[in-house]
Amino acid sequence: MTDKSQNPDLQDPGKLTQETVDHAQRLHEAETGADANWDTMARDDASRDESIEPATVIDGTPVGEGPAGRRPTNAELELESQRLEHTEVKRISYAGLIARRFFRQKSAVAGLTILAVLALLAIFGPMISPYDYTDPDFAALSVAPSAEHWFGTDSGGLDLFACVVHGLGRSLVIGISYALITTVLAAIIGTAIAYARGIWEKIGMWCLDMLLVIPSFLLVAMIVRATSGGTGWLMLIFGLSAFGWIGYARTLRTMALSLRERDYVKAAKYMGVSPFTIIVRHLIPNLGSILIIDTVLGVISGINSETAYSFLGLGIKVPDTSLGYILSQGSSAMLTAPWVVLIPSIVLIVLCVSMQLIGDGLRDAFDPYSRAAGNVEEEAEDATPGPEKLAEHDI
Amino acid sequence: MARFLTYVAKRVINYAVMIFVATSLTFFLASAFMSPRSNYESRTPRPPQESIEQSLTANNLNDKTPIMERYTTWLKGIVTEFDWGNSPTGTSVNSEISQRIGASVKLMLLSTVLSIVIGVGLGVYTAQRQYQWQDRLWGGVAALFLTVPTVVLAILIVFFAIEINSASGMRIFYVTGLSSYTGDNVLLAFLDFLQHILLPTIVLTIISAVGYHVNQRTYLLDEMHADYVRTARAKGLTKKQAIRKHALRASLIPTSVNVAFSIAGIFTGAVMTEKIFAIHGLGEYFINCINNNDIYGSVAVAAFSGVCTLVGALLADLFAAALDPRIKMS
Repeated sequence: MTDKSQNPDLQDPGKLTQETVDHAQRLHEAETGADANWDTMARDDASRDESIEPATVIDGTPVGEGPAGRRPTNAELELESQRLEHTEVKRISYAGLIARRFFRQKSAVAGLTILAVLALLAIFGPMISPYDYTDPDFAALSVAPSAEHWFGTDSGGLDLFACVVHGLGRSLVIGISYALITTVLAAIIGTAIAYARGIWEKIGMWCLDMLLVIPSFLLVAMIVRATSGGTGWLMLIFGLSAFGWIGYARTLRTMALSLRERDYVKAAKYMGVSPFTIIVRHLIPNLGSILIIDTVLGVISGINSETAYSFLGLGIKVPDTSLGYILSQGSSAMLTAPWVVLIPSIVLIVLCVSMQLIGDGLRDAFDPYSRAAGNVEEEAEDATPGPEKLAEHDI
Repeated sequence: MARFLTYVAKRVINYAVMIFVATSLTFFLASAFMSPRSNYESRTPRPPQESIEQSLTANNLNDKTPIMERYTTWLKGIVTEFDWGNSPTGTSVNSEISQRIGASVKLMLLSTVLSIVIGVGLGVYTAQRQYQWQDRLWGGVAALFLTVPTVVLAILIVFFAIEINSASGMRIFYVTGLSSYTGDNVLLAFLDFLQHILLPTIVLTIISAVGYHVNQRTYLLDEMHADYVRTARAKGLTKKQAIRKHALRASLIPTSVNVAFSIAGIFTGAVMTEKIFAIHGLGEYFINCINNNDIYGSVAVAAFSGVCTLVGALLADLFAAALDPRIKMS
């Protein structure tokens, strides 16, 4: 009965209880017939019983309730399955479960579709574009979008479609690498500081605070201004990542504070497992869902920063181009050629909103209570269904 | 009281050490990544080598001097005369910064006050209507503004302002600078100032009000579900009374911490907004420093922001101590 948690120690018991509950609810809602496709999760009887009561009372989202006014629990579903002579209950992996919950949400699927379209545009756009983003068409300066130039041209005669598609690729690459690098750095350093305890924890926190004293915007600007031409975007990724992880590491350290007290961490420690292995194998995986969500949302802040620096003339410069750079060029001719500003703006907004939709979808997929509770930090500190969930109705 | 003073003194000393280390780090970073020499070498006609060396040395910017020597000279200047050094062209950093603080404060003051009032107000309003349409509407608006890049937001606002200007045939909004009126009429001068400050204020207010809104909503919801509010309700207070007298108070403590930091932020200005609206404040100065290889200018701006941040942190500690009885007790 331990199919779900191949590593039982890596799962948070409080969360699992909730998932069982949520799971049963959604199952009932999704599959009204007695289909054999049960993705129930195994629980020992004691914890199942505990989860039943709050499930019937809490009920945060108004979805299909039975005539009795309450949802069947996991146990009841399994009983029903047996009654209908399905001898076996199918179970799915954790990742499969998350994927299922993710794809059940229309907005998340929409976000993923938009992102896929944008990514395809960034990859194949340069191939289908008749012009290159570096060679200007002097016969057509500042022309409006037409069949010849799909997005029009800027005042220098550069084809805007080619520029936007190239800039979109740059934004995606910078945003994604920034998010991945900062998440890895922040996860390792944040949990390491929490795990170190004592004087090392104090020193680590002091260093983080000290690095946060100077706004990182200023420090990043100093590094990336030295960039030049073609390889500028690599330098921009480096600069952004070098100072982007600090505040995030601080948050993750707070979250790791409760994890370090867990029995499995102690057990590993006294079995002689090295601190680094404990951090990588036991602490970080337990922040997994938060890390995945924040990586997706981190892409937005990466794109945001890239746009800001390039707009200020500090990030990506000619001969390379990016959405922020196009915006800065277009902002000087807003009256005569508004499309130079509007098109990259729309692309940026669509890109960021799609990432946000995916992030929200993942958040709801990972934690069924997130819709009710608010932001991620809060849930990490409070994984058990606390009194506030029950109190929702009586205030 | 004495215990409180020692606590504050300890904090101040700790922060002073932090500032010192952080500023020194910035100094070395800036010296490594910026080359004032290139300012002179790229001039046409190229000045003679000797004069380049001479002007660099005169401003303590010569990269042929060992870095530790430049560092001690610079540090000595600050400690003895509070002189933060010179730009590569020889102008004093002190005078540049003191000229520009005024513009930044003018720009930030109004938007900071507005964003706190609007953001906290919306947060309280939506928290009381959790999951109703008002909450969903404002939540959606907040999510959109949080996602849209600042640059795009500012540019679109400028774009629509220009459209309105040309549609009405009048200059209702000015999109650059802080004033353009040169006469003596105080009323007209004030009107002119308002026309200039309106758009940047809208941009800055939207950006920071969204943060206050989302946070205040979460804080108040947390408190509304706390046991003591339920007790108050059980004693017979209405929902509104319980929120106003009990939950709201407690939920304002974390908000006051944010307020403390944004008070400090008034003086540091806003880089993006100042750049887009051509306001000559500290944010724009920093960008100019970076672009002109002005090592001491950038370090001074960084140090000034650092001081403001830590003053904000200290204020936050004091606010929390004043508002939260639990802190006083311990």
